[in-house]
Amino acid sequence: MSLFAEVWEAVKAVGAGLGAVNKRISEPAVTEFYPYKKPEIPPVSVQFLALIQNEDGTDRCVACLQCERVCPSQVITIERKRNPEGKGFVLERFDLDFANCMHCANCVEACPVSAIVTVGAFEHAVYDINLLKADKAMLDHIGHEAKTWYSPKFGVEIRTPDGRIEKAPPEMQPGGLAELLAEGEGGEAS
Amino acid sequence: MRGPTTVEPVPGRTDELIINMGPQHPATHGVLKVVIGVEGERITRAVPHIGFLHRNHEKIEEARTYPQIITYTDRMDYVSGLQNELPFILAVEDLLGVEVPPRAKLIRTIFFELFRIASHLVWLGTGMLDLGAITPFLYTFRDREMILEITEKTAGARMLPNYFTFGGVRRDVHPDFFKDVAHFLDFFETRLPDYYALVLDSPVFQARAVGVGVLSRERAIARGASGPVIRASGVAYDVRKAEPYDAYPELEFEVPTRPEGDVFARFWVRFKEMEESVKIIRQALEKTPKTGPYKGKVPPRVKPKPGARYRAVEISRGHLGTYVVSDGSERPLRVKHRSPSFANLQLIPDLFVGARFADAIAILSSLDPVFGEVDR
Amino acid sequence: MSRMPLPADRLVQPRLVGYDPTHPRPWLERIAYTLFFSALWVMVILAYGAVPALFRHYGWLSTTAGFLIYAAVEAVLAFLLAAVVALILIVVLRKYLGKVQERVGPMHYGPAGVFQTVFDALKLLGKEDFAPKRVDWLIFRLAPAIVFVSAFLLMVALPVAGGWVMADLNVGLLYIVAVSTLGAYGVVLGGLSQGNKWGLLGGFRAGAQLVSYEVPLALALLSVGVYSGSLRLSDVVEHQYGLWHVVPLFLSFLVYLVASIAELKATPFDLPEAESELVAGYNTEYSGMSFAFFFLAEFVELFLLPGFMVVLFFGGWHGPLFGLEPGSFAAGVLQSLYFLVKVAVWVWIFLWIRATLPRFRDDQLMDLAWKGLLPLALVGLLVAAFLRMFLEVL
Repeated sequence: MSLFAEVWEAVKAVGAGLGAVNKRISEPAVTEFYPYKKPEIPPVSVQFLALIQNEDGTDRCVACLQCERVCPSQVITIERKRNPEGKGFVLERFDLDFANCMHCANCVEACPVSAIVTVGAFEHAVYDINLLKADKAMLDHIGHEAKTWYSPKFGVEIRTPDGRIEKAPPEMQPGGLAELLAEGEGGEAS
Repeated sequence: MRGPTTVEPVPGRTDELIINMGPQHPATHGVLKVVIGVEGERITRAVPHIGFLHRNHEKIEEARTYPQIITYTDRMDYVSGLQNELPFILAVEDLLGVEVPPRAKLIRTIFFELFRIASHLVWLGTGMLDLGAITPFLYTFRDREMILEITEKTAGARMLPNYFTFGGVRRDVHPDFFKDVAHFLDFFETRLPDYYALVLDSPVFQARAVGVGVLSRERAIARGASGPVIRASGVAYDVRKAEPYDAYPELEFEVPTRPEGDVFARFWVRFKEMEESVKIIRQALEKTPKTGPYKGKVPPRVKPKPGARYRAVEISRGHLGTYVVSDGSERPLRVKHRSPSFANLQLIPDLFVGARFADAIAILSSLDPVFGEVDR
Repeated sequence: MSRMPLPADRLVQPRLVGYDPTHPRPWLERIAYTLFFSALWVMVILAYGAVPALFRHYGWLSTTAGFLIYAAVEAVLAFLLAAVVALILIVVLRKYLGKVQERVGPMHYGPAGVFQTVFDALKLLGKEDFAPKRVDWLIFRLAPAIVFVSAFLLMVALPVAGGWVMADLNVGLLYIVAVSTLGAYGVVLGGLSQGNKWGLLGGFRAGAQLVSYEVPLALALLSVGVYSGSLRLSDVVEHQYGLWHVVPLFLSFLVYLVASIAELKATPFDLPEAESELVAGYNTEYSGMSFAFFFLAEFVELFLLPGFMVVLFFGGWHGPLFGLEPGSFAAGVLQSLYFLVKVAVWVWIFLWIRATLPRFRDDQLMDLAWKGLLPLALVGLLVAAFLRMFLEVL
């Protein structure tokens, strides 16, 4: 008799499996139709890096070499010279090799002036790997094209249609910043 | 004790077929190569070959500063990426003497357990793919996608987020984080019964798994196995209980164990671990304040005082430990990772020999190796 | 360093192919499936009903030339029917698996991807049919033909409606057993001849599996023959008026169900080509059209084995005729529809099982065949014999 009980249990278990499969037939598919419908990814997402210029066209970057120092795969190369009219430095060259970039965003974390940022753009496949070597012109271009971008210091910023740079409203901000802006507390314990 | 390094045909013996399984084989979870001798379907000899994914992690890490290394640790066990950062961070925090705020500990714990679920889901899907069922694979990857999206919203990347840092986490969680995680847990609990029906309760699966690849308690300990593999052999060893870190001391959870040590037990243990992870995350969500400090005070230039420290955590695959030797400079003198898959993979000759060929596939998927971490 | 081109001109734009899948048109999909089913129906009517009726009506079959022409036309029609069946079942399989796996399946070629198989077939046609150096050339080339021909030959004996069968053999049941065993030769020889270790293992497994499952399958068929008192398939169907064989011969039906899934080499019995164990098993080294023939044969069998199940256990073409005279052409058309609907239900169940279960191990497969199904089939045979005796006493 136990054989029949065993077989019956097995049949019931297979039936449960069949039921678990069949009930999915009415559920909507979760497929993303990527090239047709591009997903919206948050500006926090580390995909493309960009250099942001101020509204008047000057560089935000102060050539402090922090990003070059923290980059684990050493893809950032900066050359700078002394600012002829005033103190500090100006950029001569800013190269970023996306082919070797690990997308860790350490540079974005380190930047004291939010010049290098993450933007929401993500399609950077090319046929020639050398095209992934970005110079300052290309990084500036990505920055100009970007509508929103993120840096830990200023949070999410947006470029308005008339070209001004503004801080995004709190609901667009990722963690911590909404509270930080609203109440002026929280954040790093000191 | 050194085993044979290769499998040579025995002269005059014609009933043994020598097969190179891998490194390009659908069921070797990446780049494992096992040279096996089979008599019909029964395996007579098995020699694993590793190193196809060796990237010189430990040597590279000697040449990097401490914050840069965190990025590299992610890349070891890429399936449970975030978890790999923690042992290194804990060791350096000890050397630095940094105080981690309790909220940061809880956030770390939530992410740690989320990635445990994500990793076990990948294991479940690919493991069932190895056993011939395609449908669980797509279900589990859909669930995992929700975890990855939660991670992306907060940390900025999906698999290798580089999110933990010395003294806490890099940035505060996204405002939706708590809501999203709670929603995921509710959703996941509705999916679990289906996984039971499709996998653990399925008679075909049980026929494949019960009594297959039995690993005795003594053998498991002798080979240094850890994680679900050793817990399925009846050893209740879990770093979360043995050497608690982060918020685990204040959370209640059980360590599921099973005495049989077969493939079914290893599957069962991972299933129960996912349920325990759900419990842990629920507790942690309740305890975590909505706002508060997420990072302790860390000097801008990380220069630990000279000394050495070994810290271990329980990642999805077992005991991952990192040994850091500091000479007081910006770069560590030596970093050594003790990775669980590497130790678990040593069981291959023990478990393969005498098994049938189809069993070998089931055993391999129940060991759940990830080759980024084996080869480093 | 020269100035770089700007991102917009240098990025690789993703290629958009076929139909845009972001606007799913379920109604179009439904129409397409209806058309598919109608095409299948029309092909069945042509191959099994209309052409034989035409030849018979004009008396062309009495001359040798007429008979040869008839045979040639029927062969072409049967081949087309096999192609249509495979084209439909492959896309149905993929769409069904997509649906239960919370994805969409093929979407690009044709509305909602319904012409995917056509493009797959074209792709396979265009591929080089490559043979490695170490193959046993003659057998390597012969094996796909054997597999396909054996599947193809089974179509001859399939009765789809009253009087509609290409060859109403008086040994129909034996013919099924004989011809379906022939297919095993193709699989085994294909596996052994390709000089590949995975193919060799797949060939071993296929040999063991297919030969083992022929035995319970044959016994199940035999019990049907014993119970209905005839080996002729149309007699078997006629015998089911009043009560389908599935009720008295339930044990034999179960044996046939399991054994036919094993014959199909479908999950949970897909050991010969277990892709996660044996890479691709017996068809590892096949490419291009040789591979396509294996594939085609598999899907023709996916239609034929449920088809014979319906014939043997589910009353074949039985269904309400609404006053049509049995044996007339109109009745045949309606009966073939009943037959196809029953087959479709069983194909769906086969696909459902395929989507759910993991794979057995080789020794468990043998255990199931010899320790489980064989005794069950023998009991089924006894039951059939007793019932037959009982009926004759009455």
